[in-house]
Amino acid sequence: MKQQKLENLSALVDGEQSLEGLALDDQTERELVDKWRSYHLIRDGLRKELPPQLDFDISSKVSAALENEPTILAPRKGLRDLPVIGHVIPFVRQGGQFALAASVAVAMILGVQQFNQPKPEQPFSSAPALAIPGMQQGGLSPVSLEQTRPLPQTDALEQKRRINAYLTDHERQMRLKASQHSEVSEHPAQPEPQQK
Amino acid sequence: MASALKQLNYQVSFVLVQPNGGFEPYLWRHAVQNGIEVEHLSLQNGPGREIVRIGDLVSYFEPNVPAYSIRSTSINGPLPVTLFRQPKLLEESYDFVVVGRSRVAGRSAQQIRIISKDRSRYGYNLWLDQDSGLLLKLDMMNLQGEPLEQVQVTSLHVTPEPDEYFLRIEEDKMPETLHLNETDPVPGNWKVNWLPVGMVEVRRDMHRLPMTGQMVDYVMFSDGLIDVSLYLQAVQPGSSENGWLKYGANTLLSLQKGALEITVVGKLPPQTANAIANSVQYIETPQ
Repeated sequence: MKQQKLENLSALVDGEQSLEGLALDDQTERELVDKWRSYHLIRDGLRKELPPQLDFDISSKVSAALENEPTILAPRKGLRDLPVIGHVIPFVRQGGQFALAASVAVAMILGVQQFNQPKPEQPFSSAPALAIPGMQQGGLSPVSLEQTRPLPQTDALEQKRRINAYLTDHERQMRLKASQHSEVSEHPAQPEPQQK
Repeated sequence: MASALKQLNYQVSFVLVQPNGGFEPYLWRHAVQNGIEVEHLSLQNGPGREIVRIGDLVSYFEPNVPAYSIRSTSINGPLPVTLFRQPKLLEESYDFVVVGRSRVAGRSAQQIRIISKDRSRYGYNLWLDQDSGLLLKLDMMNLQGEPLEQVQVTSLHVTPEPDEYFLRIEEDKMPETLHLNETDPVPGNWKVNWLPVGMVEVRRDMHRLPMTGQMVDYVMFSDGLIDVSLYLQAVQPGSSENGWLKYGANTLLSLQKGALEITVVGKLPPQTANAIANSVQYIETPQ
């Protein structure tokens, strides 16, 4: 009888027997549980699936740990436990973080702008200060920069427009050059530049 | 390098880094199809800009402008064309120094320094692929050695067969070719007395500026690597002011001499631009 049960158990471990085939009773149960465990261990060993560290009898430790677990009472239900509100509030908190990050970014931008402000006494010195003989420092304002000198609005706009026109035309001419370049190189009769 | 550029089938991704921190990613394809060079340069960010070259026909597809074609043997894009196609032409103006090997874009690269003979133009650091001779990296540096404009290749594929992209191009459907209304160059009553070593005049005409519509005398100088535009315009004495600014790697310098406003635009140091502008001499017409 007992031998029959052990064989059935072995078959169950190997997945060849269904649980119903095992007629369990109280006397054999404890013995079978031990066997169940060792059969699995043997099977794992045969299949080379043993974990690197063998810790026999984890199950008893788990049950012991469960015994020692302090009982946690269900927390009192409040406003936040309502599903919708519970989700909304974290968003609000995140919003606060974004606001903080954004204000830092704004501070950075302000700081950078402060650094990049042209000096008031050199209102047109958007170009880096570089002394060229016979030329005032700075001079023209870049196309994108706001004007700081109290010029009549039209002058500033007019100047920007002129600068833009020159830059655009330069780009265009560079493209067109390519089409003429071959012709030009066939006629190298262009005056050689005089060197100083 | 020049032959590799013309004969190989390749696809290159590169990023153009501008001095203000902006950058533009490009895709560049090249192939030889039935003995004809085909090339495609595409700006990958924003609304895009597509330039296609089939043989000597270059077509520009840009936002806000109707597509057009011009006759040209090269695409005038962010890469200096002459450097790659006819490097011999640059020997007049620049010294080439082989520096050594390093690794760029995951490939072994040969570094070459390009310095203008009279130090009047920006210098370059160039890295070429050891195997194919194609461009891997190009830095334009100011006279202090700080980078101004950089081209960094991020991927490079050389293929035995042309990219299938080129099979889809329908040559007959390219936009119409612009015909430049050639005007005979008018000898202006002025001359340029000084130019950097190796720089020569490549164009001269009179045209209206876009936007403002002002008539200008125009001359373009080139040393092969950079193009410099010189504009001359008659103005009321004292009506404009002298000054200069930097726009990307470009320098724009404006100078007034009597009734002449002289403007120089190009990727060159402001000192050089100033020297060119100052050397313009007004010739009194005997009347």
